[in-house]
Amino acid sequence: MRKAIKAAFFGLISMAFVGSAVADITFVSWGGAYTASQQKAYIDTYSKGSSITVENYNGGLGEIKAQVEAGNVTWDVVDVLPDQAITGCDEGLFVKVDQSEFINDMVVPPVSDCVVPQIFWAYTAFYDKAAFPGKKPKNIKDFFDVKKFPGKRGIHTWANALIEMALVADGVKASKVYEVMSTPEGIDRAFAKLDTIKDHVVFWSAGSKPLELVSSGEVVMALAYNGRIGAAILSEGKNFEYIWDATVLEQEYLVAIKGGNEAEALEFMAHASTAESNAEQAKYIPYGPMRKSSIDIIKKGEPWFIKEGGNIDILPHMPTTPKVLKRAVIGDPVWWADNGAEVHERFGAWKGS
Amino acid sequence: MNQTQASTGPILTTDGIPLKVSLKKAERINKIRAFLLVLPLLAFILITFLVPIGDMLARSVDDRQINTVFPKTFEVYKKWDRQGLPSEEVYKTMFFELKNSEGYAVGKASTRMNYSKSGWKSLLKKSKRKFKKIEEGPFKEQMIAIDKKWADPEYWLALGQMVDPTTMGYYLNAVDLKYDSSKNIVQQKENRRIYNKTWIKTFKVSLLVTLFCLLLGYPISYLLATLPMKYSNLLMICVLLPFWTSLLVRTVAWMVMLQQKGVLNNLLVMSNLLADENRFQLMYNQTAVVIVMTQILLPFMVLPLYSVMKTISPTYMRAALNLGASPMHAFYKIYMPNSIPGVSAGCLLVFIIAIGYYITPELVGGKDGQMVGNWIAYHLKTTLNWGLCASLGAILLAMMTVLYWAYNKIVGIENIKLG
Repeated sequence: MRKAIKAAFFGLISMAFVGSAVADITFVSWGGAYTASQQKAYIDTYSKGSSITVENYNGGLGEIKAQVEAGNVTWDVVDVLPDQAITGCDEGLFVKVDQSEFINDMVVPPVSDCVVPQIFWAYTAFYDKAAFPGKKPKNIKDFFDVKKFPGKRGIHTWANALIEMALVADGVKASKVYEVMSTPEGIDRAFAKLDTIKDHVVFWSAGSKPLELVSSGEVVMALAYNGRIGAAILSEGKNFEYIWDATVLEQEYLVAIKGGNEAEALEFMAHASTAESNAEQAKYIPYGPMRKSSIDIIKKGEPWFIKEGGNIDILPHMPTTPKVLKRAVIGDPVWWADNGAEVHERFGAWKGS
Repeated sequence: MNQTQASTGPILTTDGIPLKVSLKKAERINKIRAFLLVLPLLAFILITFLVPIGDMLARSVDDRQINTVFPKTFEVYKKWDRQGLPSEEVYKTMFFELKNSEGYAVGKASTRMNYSKSGWKSLLKKSKRKFKKIEEGPFKEQMIAIDKKWADPEYWLALGQMVDPTTMGYYLNAVDLKYDSSKNIVQQKENRRIYNKTWIKTFKVSLLVTLFCLLLGYPISYLLATLPMKYSNLLMICVLLPFWTSLLVRTVAWMVMLQQKGVLNNLLVMSNLLADENRFQLMYNQTAVVIVMTQILLPFMVLPLYSVMKTISPTYMRAALNLGASPMHAFYKIYMPNSIPGVSAGCLLVFIIAIGYYITPELVGGKDGQMVGNWIAYHLKTTLNWGLCASLGAILLAMMTVLYWAYNKIVGIENIKLG
């Protein structure tokens, strides 16, 4: 018996060593349709040897910081938001990458030296066409106008994008939003605007929720991630309509974690950030590529979105077309890295009061 | 006995060692062996439980990060009278320490500095990049030329909170206070005062949940303990079935039930008990948190109650009734006191679980249902302000300890029974 246990023990130990000798990559992203699109566009098309395990997380740098500080890094490539891309790179959690391949091909310059581009996603207002048989809401002012368009509004439980939208609805130009937000009066102004819809608001925190809220009639309009709205229209045949005004664009990047399988991770990231790969992802989910040339590839290839029974044009669902960009706010992660905590606390106080 | 020993000398074993000594030796070996047996468990508890708690407590007062990056700046800073802007010397020291520090250390320090004044983060990053080109003074003007924030006394005053390697700042932050530039304790800015409200709310919700669990759980447990076996087993399954169902599934099911266009409101409107425009707002607020958490935590109340009630012999009640007590009186005098250990166990268990709850308030809390756990999660993941997380956690721990101590004083911990 003892011998058997000993054998099993050493067997396990040696297996652990063999296991770490083969450089597999753990790819961590947000799950759902988004990860599925990355699986098809980047992982299934990757043929450089390393096998890739996919894990889900809920965002934030908490787990990554814990792994790096404990010296026990199990994640290699992680899909992160821009403010986290900045903080993580500054604090040495991520590996610096060679950006020469794409640096001149980006819609906006990359936020830090540690990232390769993935997509633009957006906070967008939308409604069910059936909810407004007559006059339909056209812009963000209508979203904030409960007299003209009565009914509840679905908004998320954190402050990002809401401040920007409130200011645009209050008459600030989309391009001047962060200038105004950098003054204390600007933030007051945004909260005053939010006050006007406070009694008509239903809060959501999970990305699928606003779609349910609008579908069930719980609210007449909601803010949601544009990819979720697109998926509901394209795959489920929902009768939703976007309000492409004051759409707040957020960037999404891949980073390699310091202390993981860095070389393999970087190789995979190079593959997952080519113009072709980025365009490929849009076949499965309506998020906008960050590379200019990816958009050209899609434009030439329309109908691009893959669907059983005939492909569909994807550009009308993208937040990065010139038509949308003209009226959009490009989220400023530097501003949010600076002021996020303070504004979020104030937002919490506002919500609860 | 002593006399016989004195006359014959100590009893010896066969190899000539006094029996007492040899017995002690044998016992000591046994003791060591026993200790070695529990050692793995002890080490396990130490490593997985005590060390993390100790680390958490240490983090809640640790402020060394920034002091390792700007030690000299703080030295000259301390001489500043906090009027207007600091002298050229402070600017100069800051300049060189920032310029020559390792990038990641500055990154971490800037994250820390940003907690006390929003804006430090980008200021340090931008400045460090631009400082490369500057070789000689005067530094004050050049720094202000790079970013006008350097001319804002607010930023300099905020540094005053961080001059010591340990700080109570995180604890102050957790109760809506803060240090001013001379380390006096003052109130947090009004629109950032959020934590005291959250503490009160967390307590209120946990107490309500415990109360409702008790009100609902007591009769159920009584039925479970007194019904004949074949019915009580069925009832037990009804209690346990939700317990085995995923927390998320149960929470989402409640959303469907309670929302404004949900099952409950629809039924009420359909049966004309409620006007269509007066639908109850039962979801995405504190009410929702209390309702859903009560359902989720109910088994934690029922199980200890049931196992205690099962041990109360029915003959007690029969005896009381036989002796002339009314059923109410018999219940009040006999059954209830006997079930108190189960009530205590259940209440303590539910309250402790409720006070640190996170996922349910996150999903159904909406407007005003966020509890302390949600703020800990936010700072843990988004702002990386682990010092604040640690202090919030430590306060929670201290509260539970006080509660436990008070409970022990009033009721006595030996009265707790899980069966």
